[in-house]
Amino acid sequence: MMAERRALLLIGSPRGIGHSTSDRLGGRVLDVLKEHGFLTEKLHVHAAMASPQELESALAVIGAADMVILSLPLYVDSFPAPVIAFLEQIAERRIGAGRARLFVIIQCGFPEKEQNATALAIAERFAAEAGWSWLGGVGLGEAEWQHKDVARALAPVAEAIANGTAIPQSVLRKAMPAWLYRFGGNIMWRLAARKHHATRSLRARPYAE
Amino acid sequence: MNAVVLDGARGTECRGALAALQQALAEAGHTTEVIPLRERTIAPCRGCFGCWVTTAGECVIDDAGRQVARAIARCDLLVYLTPVTFGGVSSELKKAVDRMLPDILPFFARVNGETHHHWRYQKSPRLMGLGVLPRPDREAENIFKTLIERNALNLNAPRTAAAVVTPESDLRATAAALAKAVT
Repeated sequence: MMAERRALLLIGSPRGIGHSTSDRLGGRVLDVLKEHGFLTEKLHVHAAMASPQELESALAVIGAADMVILSLPLYVDSFPAPVIAFLEQIAERRIGAGRARLFVIIQCGFPEKEQNATALAIAERFAAEAGWSWLGGVGLGEAEWQHKDVARALAPVAEAIANGTAIPQSVLRKAMPAWLYRFGGNIMWRLAARKHHATRSLRARPYAE
Repeated sequence: MNAVVLDGARGTECRGALAALQQALAEAGHTTEVIPLRERTIAPCRGCFGCWVTTAGECVIDDAGRQVARAIARCDLLVYLTPVTFGGVSSELKKAVDRMLPDILPFFARVNGETHHHWRYQKSPRLMGLGVLPRPDREAENIFKTLIERNALNLNAPRTAAAVVTPESDLRATAAALAKAVT
């Protein structure tokens, strides 16, 4: 009888399970892995870092995982701080060393997916230092804009992960030119501020001397 | 010039580098404030964008993250000091960097052919990165230097410089060279 294979979705967004793009995108990959016989589980990194007890139980889950899908938003060219803190613990304590395989999905709020490259390099480096196998990753731009396309496009990526075959690097086409993204985005932020009656203070400088 | 050093050490690993840095900055004529981040309680950024669309320029979380954002908004030179962590910065430093968001405007700009945000204040700080490694590691060093260059784009920093030191490095010479590069 084949041993059970465990896949874990590690959500690195502060919005967590059920409320984040990271969950929706990573969840798509997890669904496919489940169809391939993996036992699946989700874990929210920020919740895991909330207390020493939460951290210990999260690390136990990591230690039992054969496949970890880390799905997260790009924060200043890297990961959100709690994700780095969590990975520091994993690497220092060699949790999952020689067993876990890592795949990463990063989405940024810019149209250029290339902006995720440094974070992907950091993820690969983590895998090497922790003794995990590096399966690769996808960096997504404009994820918030065309979420449905992204979720659909991730299916073949998940199939490749499950089957151990080469992972497609081209996930989706560009939704719109960068100049249009910037133009539309700038309008969107003004509308968002208007909703909070904050249009006039959008450019405020509270810390100016 | 007014320099702010974000000390992202998790223990004593950056002590020598910090001393060399302080001396080099003083010799270059900077007034330096060091913020030891491991001694500050800074909650993680919630990604709510409240600092952009509700409380413009100030984080909705009232903790030491606000003081860090204020110090960064007012400085001429921002310095990252950190143990190099998977090629990047430590979790201690990153908790402060993530809370820098209020100092950035939501509006997009084209910088070096890429989309980035405008800096909220009249002038952006220069950015210096000093990473500490226990032993030479070219790959980690390259990732770190790239990360600092990328962060400089996000800050619209007019000048940037980065270096990585190990116990064998000449700390004083490295810190002096960095200070000169951004002065």
